[in-house]
Amino acid sequence: MLKSKTITTIRSKKIKLVTLVVLFANSILFAQENYLKIEINPFFKTKVLEKNSWYVSKNNDSLQFTKIKFYLTDFKILTKEGKIKQLPNSDFLVGIFNGESKSILLENVSYKTGDQLLFNIGVNEKMNTSGALSGALDPANGMYWSWQSGYINFKIEGKSPSCSTRKNKFQFHIGGYKKPFAATRSKSVTIANAINNVLIIDFDIATLFDSIDISNLNQVMIPGKEAVEIADILPDLFSLNE
Amino acid sequence: MNKLIKNISFIIGIFICLGFVLVKNEEVFFEYPEYWPKPVYNFSKLSMTEEEFQLGRHLFYDPLLSRDETISCASCHLQATGFTHVDHDLSHGIEGRIGTRNSISIMNLAWNTSFMWDGGVNHIEVQSLAPISSENEMDSSLATIVEKLNKSEKYNSLFENAYRDSIVTGQKILLALTQFVVMLNTYNSKYDKYIRSEIGGEFTEQENSGLNVFRNNCASCHKEPLFSSTDFKNNGLNIDSTLNDFGRMRVTKKPQDSLKFKVPTLRNIQFTQPYMHDGRFETLQEVINHYTSDVQHGPTLANELQEQITLTHKEKVDLLVFLRTLTDQEFLYNKRFSYPRETPTN
Repeated sequence: MLKSKTITTIRSKKIKLVTLVVLFANSILFAQENYLKIEINPFFKTKVLEKNSWYVSKNNDSLQFTKIKFYLTDFKILTKEGKIKQLPNSDFLVGIFNGESKSILLENVSYKTGDQLLFNIGVNEKMNTSGALSGALDPANGMYWSWQSGYINFKIEGKSPSCSTRKNKFQFHIGGYKKPFAATRSKSVTIANAINNVLIIDFDIATLFDSIDISNLNQVMIPGKEAVEIADILPDLFSLNE
Repeated sequence: MNKLIKNISFIIGIFICLGFVLVKNEEVFFEYPEYWPKPVYNFSKLSMTEEEFQLGRHLFYDPLLSRDETISCASCHLQATGFTHVDHDLSHGIEGRIGTRNSISIMNLAWNTSFMWDGGVNHIEVQSLAPISSENEMDSSLATIVEKLNKSEKYNSLFENAYRDSIVTGQKILLALTQFVVMLNTYNSKYDKYIRSEIGGEFTEQENSGLNVFRNNCASCHKEPLFSSTDFKNNGLNIDSTLNDFGRMRVTKKPQDSLKFKVPTLRNIQFTQPYMHDGRFETLQEVINHYTSDVQHGPTLANELQEQITLTHKEKVDLLVFLRTLTDQEFLYNKRFSYPRETPTN
């Protein structure tokens, strides 16, 4: 195509056989039995959280939920001695209803009772600027904005008579990775009682709806001040089941 | 016993791995002139194979991507006009719905740091999500396309060829489209041959004079050799009150970005009419007249345009003649980039 001698070329990367064999051997010979399973236990105050059931918040708003989905990513173990152990590829999309996954399996992880489990609620800046990713981060999962690149960290949809919107709907699509509107938050819980390697984390959606005025704030679909306001509350929704 | 099973599966594993290496796809090469800057795009996720390129090419030309399967990427990005939508100020999508902007050309994308007129898209691999899900364009979703393609025998085999796995995922669709569009490179215009002192690159006196006019008045924003820049500028267009499009400000929410738009490339500009983000100018004469006499002064106007550009009639004509030397016929008529008529081979 180009006739001149001055050509620069970028070639494909050859698969390294050695790497493949080593990876394969590793997975067979050193299969780890250390794992930590996290179960998200959703509720509204004292009631179990179910799709299309009615709940009442502290502000006397009647609420019904149709969709709650969010990213929990970048898991780490902080040991009692202060050492941080990063868990690679620990990015998960959690969905509360419709048989979506409420559990997270962290493989090849060693921990002791009393260690801290650290993770992000949402997707960090690097993953927001890394193009097309796979698995939980595949944009086909519907948690990605197309008109302004970036992940939706948290989706909460439902309805309430307190919202004077079409069909009384509220929609919170919380995301954004650029300062000052970065909406990803970190969270830590103590691994206190992981019986049979299962850690139960309570998720209380009432915490959010007790602290916002949904007659005014009911449609957040872009990064910005309002998204940040809600993002700041999100870590308080999660707590260790004692 | 358990150990024996482990050993056997280990050996089988090695054979499987070898099998993968022996079935080798045909490589594609990303070429560009040596004196150009390095591409911004990091190619690491692409397989750089002919099979992935051909898969991307099929997707680019397939109306299956739109909700009612009537329009494809190529509907608004036609090869012969530099992969843009000629003759429409605002591009239209399914059911004749009209968008709010003039489709932008697709060329030399590996050098872009952001995409769309307002830079709202931050990476080439996720760019196609915008037209796919825009209500006024394809009005579909990546999840819907994954579902449609998974049911298609043709695509199962194209995905199998490209990725040794027929299962379609969102990421694979986006990467295959990237593999196609990132190869749409133009560097064989008369101007390029002139720069490389090649046969066919002999400039006439008028073209030379036009190049000088260009370098003195336009090149600070439309930088050679790509004839674009990664910046966003307010180029002094008055606001179209039927659109109220404030450009870059929508993305950054900063008032200092009001009315700023991407500085587009001028390559193949002879064929990419109409011009500007809203396609308001049909001819290059109008564009040049805008810069010499109609620039609107406002708080965000580009520094480069603060002082009025004055050109004589002859200089304007020379500039127009020069701009035609940016036409790359080899690119506009390269069969590798056109509608895939047969089963993909070479």
